[in-house]
Amino acid sequence: MTLLSVQNLNVRFPTGEGTVHASRDVSFSMKSGEVLGLVGETGSGKSVIGQAIIRLLPTSASITGTIAFNGQELTTLQDDAMHALRGRSISLVPQNPSGSLDPLVRNGSQIGEIFIERGMEKKTAWEKACDLLVTVGLIPSDQIAKEYPHQLSGGMRQRLTTSIAIAENSHLIIADEPTKGLDYQARETTARVLSGIKTRDNASLLLITHDLYLAEHLCDWIAVLYAGEIVEVGPATQIFARPRHPYTQALMRAIPKNGLVPLEGQSPSLMAIPEGCCFADRCSCHSEVCKMIHPDLNQEPLIGGVRCHHPSCS
Amino acid sequence: MPSPVLQLTGLSKSYGHGDIFSGISFEVGSGKTIGLFGQSGSGKTTLGRCIMRIEEPSSGHILMQGQDLARMRPGKLRELRPSFQMIFQHPEVSLNPRMTLADSVAEPLMVHRGIGMEEALREIAPLIRRVGLRDEHLARYPHQLSGGEVQRAVLSRIFSLKPKIVVADEPTSMLDVSVQAQVLRLMQDLQKETGVSYVFISHDPDVMSVMCEETLWIEKGKGTLYDRFGFLERVKTQYSGAVPT
Ligand SMILES: Nc1ncnc2c1ncn2[C@@H]1O[C@H](COP(=O)(O)OP(=O)(O)O)[C@@H](O)[C@H]1O
Ligand SMILES: Nc1ncnc2c1ncn2[C@@H]1O[C@H](COP(=O)(O)OP(=O)(O)O)[C@@H](O)[C@H]1O
Ligand SMILES: [Mg+2]
Ligand SMILES: [Mg+2]
Repeated sequence: MTLLSVQNLNVRFPTGEGTVHASRDVSFSMKSGEVLGLVGETGSGKSVIGQAIIRLLPTSASITGTIAFNGQELTTLQDDAMHALRGRSISLVPQNPSGSLDPLVRNGSQIGEIFIERGMEKKTAWEKACDLLVTVGLIPSDQIAKEYPHQLSGGMRQRLTTSIAIAENSHLIIADEPTKGLDYQARETTARVLSGIKTRDNASLLLITHDLYLAEHLCDWIAVLYAGEIVEVGPATQIFARPRHPYTQALMRAIPKNGLVPLEGQSPSLMAIPEGCCFADRCSCHSEVCKMIHPDLNQEPLIGGVRCHHPSCS
Repeated sequence: MPSPVLQLTGLSKSYGHGDIFSGISFEVGSGKTIGLFGQSGSGKTTLGRCIMRIEEPSSGHILMQGQDLARMRPGKLRELRPSFQMIFQHPEVSLNPRMTLADSVAEPLMVHRGIGMEEALREIAPLIRRVGLRDEHLARYPHQLSGGEVQRAVLSRIFSLKPKIVVADEPTSMLDVSVQAQVLRLMQDLQKETGVSYVFISHDPDVMSVMCEETLWIEKGKGTLYDRFGFLERVKTQYSGAVPT
């Protein structure tokens, strides 16, 4: 069953210097129990999509398109109804963990309060909170539970916010860069915790990351973003084994174990999007048509799609 | 055999609540790279800071080009100082936020050679182009630059002093893979061109094995040296199966 369906999402931010078109005609859908990865470089518009879904974009943002969650349209939902969905049906592990934690609440209670709110006894809630801290590798959990967020390192705070999202037990978890800056061991712990989400209760995970290693291991489907639009989407195994868009191919080659081949140049400014293909001026196989005509993303079920005039060319 | 550029013997550091590490010994030859690998909190940064003499080791010796810095006259130390440099993990704290990029990259030359801004910029211009920055970047402040651009600027700043040793503390852990590849390739090229030696700190085994001939794995305060092959073997046994597929 389709849990989330995003269609033709466009997000624009008016600024003093011009309009930033951060999300351009983004369409994708997710089934229950599925893990979809949004990958792409910094500034490609990953977080904006997550924030649009959970409706946490600044009011200055202009949003068009539709976002249906369990058949319910979110873009026009009343604020109080949206508020009721957040943390119950949809949870966000934000990119910046510090902003979402209450500095005056003990780490254990940040999690425990969720259980108490749902009718659990205080002592049991605390114990369950400690168990969750162990799950995300925050040990010794009884000591860390008594401490406050400022006593944790950035990586530990990140894992605390992940454990809060797990506690919320939502149908959809949006995890925004859950492994950023974590060391190898902590990354593996987080990967294990996140992969537990899909095995539990048919919950779905929208994984926003530039950690391709994590994406490869966790995702069923992957959408690759470049300059605010999806340039390739498909089953994760296919994206990693046989990438078709020249940008995806370049991304794969840049992975250290695939040769650390740099992709030179920069993505276009989101205030001045080129008319043709956004990747043309960095692409070794571009032709005249690429500079003039913006390619479509022709999506097919089970295979996905690629936004390129010359797919699989390099 | 030429003497190593950097040599550590029996280095220890403690902070009162016990040893961070002890008995660390290794050496690095000219134009070579040694890796420091370990979990976060294992003491990699502290060891890097000891090498840079930002931090005083509790015991042991550090020889730079055969000389013990701890016993050096201040005048001589000042002379040698530009030849060892450090790159930090967080691009956003590497440069002074209130200085334009032009000021930042020209500063080391102005300080160490007592020359003016214009002369410094003229001298550093080829290096700025070498790291892939353009004139348009020079008027900007750090917050107007991407993480990759900041690390490029840091590299041009550091290499303007013709260093012999650079301690690079997770220089790309906050960068995207594509930008990481650009910065690491640039570091490799600069090494070939200048013969600089790197002490390369990372917690990413794949990055480590690309960049380093030898790696010191720090664990529970002790260091074990591995060559490239031995390091990868150890990574496999340590982490295999930990990530579900
Ligand atoms: N509130 C905002 N005002 C203006 N531009 C914004 C705002 N939020 C995000 N952007 C811009 O939108 C683009 C996409 O941002 P983001 O989704 O955070 O990228 P990613 O998560 O892929 O790194 C960036 O160019 C960013 O600068
Ligand atoms: N100034 C200090 N005073 C006391 N302890 C410190 C200080 N600096 C670092 N430490 C401790 O030393 C250990 C090693 O830290 P660090 O060198 O930053 O590790 P790494 O770089 O491998 O993550 C940590 O347990 C840290 O808490
Ligand atoms: Mg983001
Ligand atoms: Mg460190």
